Amino acid sequence: MQLLQKFKRGNSKKSLSKGHANYAYTIARVRAMKSKLLPKETYPRLMNMSIDEITRFIEESEYKEDIDQLARQYEGVDLIEHALNRNLAETFTKLLYISEGDVNFLIGEKLKKYDIWNIKTILRGKYCNASTEEILDAIVAGGRLNYSSLSELAAKATYEDVISELANTEYYPILENYDGTNLSEIENKLDKMYYTGLFDAVGGSKSKDRKLFEEFTRMGIDLKNLITLFRLKKSGITDPEAMDLMIDGGLRCNLKETGKLLPLSFADFVSELESNPYWDVISDIVKPDMTSLVDVETRLKNHRLKSAASFSHVYPNSIVPIMDYMLSKQNEISNLRIIIRGKAANLEDDVIKEQLVI
Amino acid sequence: MGVKDVKPTRSELIEIKKKIKLSQSGHKLLKMKRDGLILEFFEILSKAKDVRSELDAAYEEASRKIGIANAVDGTITVKSTAFALKSKPEIELESRNIMGVVVPKIESSSVKKSINERGYGILGTSSYTDEAADAYENLVEKIILAAEIETTMKKLLDDIEKTKRRVNALEFKVIPELQEAMVFIRLRLEEMERENTFRLKRIKG
Repeated sequence: MQLLQKFKRGNSKKSLSKGHANYAYTIARVRAMKSKLLPKETYPRLMNMSIDEITRFIEESEYKEDIDQLARQYEGVDLIEHALNRNLAETFTKLLYISEGDVNFLIGEKLKKYDIWNIKTILRGKYCNASTEEILDAIVAGGRLNYSSLSELAAKATYEDVISELANTEYYPILENYDGTNLSEIENKLDKMYYTGLFDAVGGSKSKDRKLFEEFTRMGIDLKNLITLFRLKKSGITDPEAMDLMIDGGLRCNLKETGKLLPLSFADFVSELESNPYWDVISDIVKPDMTSLVDVETRLKNHRLKSAASFSHVYPNSIVPIMDYMLSKQNEISNLRIIIRGKAANLEDDVIKEQLVI
Repeated sequence: MGVKDVKPTRSELIEIKKKIKLSQSGHKLLKMKRDGLILEFFEILSKAKDVRSELDAAYEEASRKIGIANAVDGTITVKSTAFALKSKPEIELESRNIMGVVVPKIESSSVKKSINERGYGILGTSSYTDEAADAYENLVEKIILAAEIETTMKKLLDDIEKTKRRVNALEFKVIPELQEAMVFIRLRLEEMERENTFRLKRIKG
């Protein structure tokens, strides 16, 4: 445990104290970092390039160092994807290092997604007896837990050892219930913890910038609940216990209303959705006999990112531009991966373009 | 069996006549079996064609879905999610009999799974991964079905070939040789009878 604390990033008591926040400094650094993001004109150009040309383009961009570092381990499209993930992790780590106080706390809460992801990956790896290398291959050290501590966790012999190593973390109360068979239940609880934690972190503030961020977070909860409902309905799950998967704190949909949709069949669910606040976003693609949810999920994801872009320029001296940068960076990585992986899988250009958020 | 090796005796003639009768009825039965197997084969062939085209379509769909999941969620996500599933599909192998040909009957279970049975959490995954998993489960089911039908087809073909060889051997080798031997014994017996009659006449004279 001491080892884990030693390797945790930027969460010293000093940096977590909410009184001292270096917004001005962090935002100045973030602006400089944002200027290095690829302009939106780049993506249509990349769409017209072959994989080799895209690879060369990425090798000559901000990702050069990451590609050089990983070139001996990976090759081809895998190299590009790992380099993109490494760059994302490095960028977010940098944000944790340069920020202090309240801003560090908020960034940390947002980046818990990566810590939870990595813990889940390690537990999944232990569950199916994957090797340490295989587990480490699927890790993105973008949160407070750094690569060294995650490597130590991945090298543990059993899941019990992994959990005992995490005994003093906030994840332990959930992880201690893991008995080696209920992995999906534990994963759902960890993910739910991330959303409720983020909601608690941003909620309750009276400042306008925080309210904006709170609204954005709550919209994320609404959309997460909606897509979870779509997936449950498509699988024919009407079990009331599935209500545990719904996250409280949505912006425009309350939990009671969402719960009423749970026992419905897919066709009834779709007809009930017409009164949902997000119906306009998906109305043209949702049909009672639809076979794929990919378009719905893409549309909802894009809606969230576009709504974030709409308020990115207001309140320049607040958490908003920092979160905007984090989303933009994630989006850049996602777009590059979609283009290169899509081309490698011979997906049609239209399919690739539908998934991009430009 | 060469004609020279045949003993020209009455008992041998009776034996050969029995053999000819048996061979002819065997030939008739084998011909019927061959025709029956060919009919079965053509029925299974049309099924196999359908299953093969369904398998090709399922493979294309699975490749497309995993391509989208790898692109949108990332291979790292797909790989990590795959770790969550340890149970493997179970296959039960039985056999059934088509006109004496033993063919396999493959029963599979635990291939298709609901999203809450796949081992991964629903909140941390996406519909891209769900659909890739769905498409691969469908592909595995088609592979199992194709394996059953194509093995049956192969076994039937082997048996048709074997039966055809037996029918041909009976029709063009065994029965003609036996008939030749029968003719030879008859001629030889007649000849021996004439020799005997001649010998008796000479003794009397």
